[in-house]
Amino acid sequence: MSRFTGRRVPAVALAASIGAALLLAMSLGAHSQTMTRFPAPGTPSDTLSIHAATDLSALAPLIQDFQQLTPGTTVEILEYVTNDLFSAAARACQEGRPLGDVLLSSSVDQLVKLANDGCAQRVDGPNLPRAPRWANWRDEVFGFTFEPIVMVYNRDSVPAADVPRTHLELAELLRREADRYRGRVGTYDVRLSGIGYLLAFNDARQTTTTYGRLLESLGRAQVVVRCCTSEILDEVAAGRLLIGYNMLGSYAYERMRRGQPIGIIMPADYTLVLSRGAMVPAHAPNTGLAGRFIDYLLSERGQGVGQSQSFFFGLDGAAPPGIEGPDVVTSGIARPITVGPALLAVQDAARRKRFLDDWSQSMIQSAP
Amino acid sequence: MARREPSLFVRLFALMSLVLVFGAAVLMTAAWYSARQAADEAYDRLLLGAAYQIADAIQVQEGEPEIALPVSAFELLALSDRDRIFYRVLDPAGRTMTGYESLADPAAAEASPDKALVENATFDGEVVRVARVSRRFDDPQMRGDAVVIVAQTVEARQALARDLTFRSFILVGVMGAIAIGGTIFAVRRALAPISRLEAAIRQRDPLDLTLVSVSTPRELAPFVAEINGFIERLRARVELMQQFIADAAHQLRTPLAALEGQVDLLANDQVTPEGRKHLDRIRVRTGQLSRLANQLLSHAMVAHRERAVAGSPVDLAELTRRALDDAIPDTLERDILVTLHAPPAPLIVSGDPVNLAEAIKNIVDNALRHGAPSRITVRLSRRQDMAVVEVEDDGPGIAPAQWARVVQRFGAPSADGKGSGLGLSITAEVAAAHGGGLSFVAKGAVGFVVVLSLAIQGREFA
Repeated sequence: MSRFTGRRVPAVALAASIGAALLLAMSLGAHSQTMTRFPAPGTPSDTLSIHAATDLSALAPLIQDFQQLTPGTTVEILEYVTNDLFSAAARACQEGRPLGDVLLSSSVDQLVKLANDGCAQRVDGPNLPRAPRWANWRDEVFGFTFEPIVMVYNRDSVPAADVPRTHLELAELLRREADRYRGRVGTYDVRLSGIGYLLAFNDARQTTTTYGRLLESLGRAQVVVRCCTSEILDEVAAGRLLIGYNMLGSYAYERMRRGQPIGIIMPADYTLVLSRGAMVPAHAPNTGLAGRFIDYLLSERGQGVGQSQSFFFGLDGAAPPGIEGPDVVTSGIARPITVGPALLAVQDAARRKRFLDDWSQSMIQSAP
Repeated sequence: MARREPSLFVRLFALMSLVLVFGAAVLMTAAWYSARQAADEAYDRLLLGAAYQIADAIQVQEGEPEIALPVSAFELLALSDRDRIFYRVLDPAGRTMTGYESLADPAAAEASPDKALVENATFDGEVVRVARVSRRFDDPQMRGDAVVIVAQTVEARQALARDLTFRSFILVGVMGAIAIGGTIFAVRRALAPISRLEAAIRQRDPLDLTLVSVSTPRELAPFVAEINGFIERLRARVELMQQFIADAAHQLRTPLAALEGQVDLLANDQVTPEGRKHLDRIRVRTGQLSRLANQLLSHAMVAHRERAVAGSPVDLAELTRRALDDAIPDTLERDILVTLHAPPAPLIVSGDPVNLAEAIKNIVDNALRHGAPSRITVRLSRRQDMAVVEVEDDGPGIAPAQWARVVQRFGAPSADGKGSGLGLSITAEVAAAHGGGLSFVAKGAVGFVVVLSLAIQGREFA
């Protein structure tokens, strides 16, 4: 499962550390990750190990700013896909082994499951109360970003009349223009991606009829499934795909900002909002520093850096310019996925298996 | 000496506070128990509700049990938003369909494990509350009880119990404060008659032998009755004694008058110069003795009237005039000028005319007896609400050092044996009984002045 081949680390953001950054390919059991090291700007005294299922380019500005506050800290980041991070963390917890100081994952349901199983530590810090109520569970799992789930399209190839505004419009577009979009719509492979599964699960709960029709239309349009937002965004930008469904808004916006021909739509019927989760695992060796890092992520400074360089949306829902669709917070269409025990139902093994079976049947078997 | 006891107020307050504190402790313990029970009941219902929802989601498809965990069950449990949730679903064959394998079935050991139950347990090192429900399947392919076990940590219920207990504590605290404040107020109010009685007794004149007439609650009545009984007995004793003195003085007067007559007869006889000298001495001493007897009688009378006679309006000018007539004997050896200055309007005081006349007579008698070679001037006037009788004479007067003593009984018997030591003390007593007093002005621009002041309104005396 080595799918971390082409890393896109923004040259500007990483200029300071690129010379010293050590890219290591490590092999831990069946999983393989890349490890990136950010050496301490001052005299090295401490090491913070972050195991993350999140884009390095988005994290780098935050790491570097955090190192300005704690100059003695060397930061190591190990990257995973969400499901791999979850299984590695669950196994480490079961065996009482440490796995990093901080876990970052967009798949908050997995972090909630870990916390429920006693694999998390309580974190204390002056900025932690800044997290909204829906983004903090037990002071163990914190949501630190506001990620609207959007649809993207290639601005050069999709005519304005075709651009879907709602989930239902997308289903109807795929049915109406079946030939044009066959094999040219991309979304998550929910079997591989924790976020993909979480988003699809919430889609299914949000609307029963629309979801069924959308699933059917996507299956008939021979949807292309990928592990990660980035891969689909690459292909949409390149014109190989025309529409990407259920993409993380911040990644898409970052492409748009770099001038790629990507249009972003916040669906007007409802827009799911995901918060990337942060957690300190139970056996973390450096809990003090881990707590400070999570506190930094929620601090005004950390949020400012995140909003300007990494995630573009404020934790209060403030959206950057250039996005199509209504303002999610004021229009009341935002559906934040609450970080809480309700996500345990999403993580239930039997339920997951059944959902994936249904999904696979609709999406994959109908593909040629 | 009797041991000093703590005050009634302190006793009552301490005892009531003790009862209150004990009551508050009992109430708070009860509040804590009931709060815990209430919290458990509230959250147990959620736990059972979630378990039933999960049990309801079990379906038999093609002979196999299937479960799609309802999110709503977890949303129900998420109402206690900080608690960890553990669950396990068993099919009728006893196999785990989903959930935590290590979560034990609390009813597994029981004989008929088919009813819903909730109990405490530990899981993964934490105290949890476990609910267990079963659902009966009678499908042809699958018969038996599917079991749903849901467990939840107890943070939320502890927080609720703490919150409820805290609120009860505040209520009990406020009630306690009100009760203590009320106790202080009530005890003060209840003990007020004691203070009133004490003040009434403390403010009494030492000579006042009237009964205590403060209104008191029933509990204090025996004390007041006892005090009044004591006063009655004392008054009876005093009256008896005065009666005895009066009787004795009266009995003395008759033989004394006879003695004076015999001495006068003897003076007419021929006696040796030596014998005359002795005779004169006997005459003087006899005179003294009869005056003393008169004054003792007069004193007893004044004291008796003070208690027995109610005040009536008295014209002081008229009274003084008659007193002067009585006081200045026709047989006075020397010429003396007695003048009375009275205001034109009548000067009315409220009092006993007999006692007042006795008082004025005593002053004038005193002036005649001790000095006043040629002149006695009596002036009546009114100063604010006092009537004043000033008696001025041109004699040597009384030295200021003696002033305090001459108003006491037998305080300053005159050295030459002319006075009995009772006269001015009788006057002072009468003045006090009429709300006034007796004072002196030393010899200066005018002669020595004795000032008798009397309250115009008079005062109530028994």
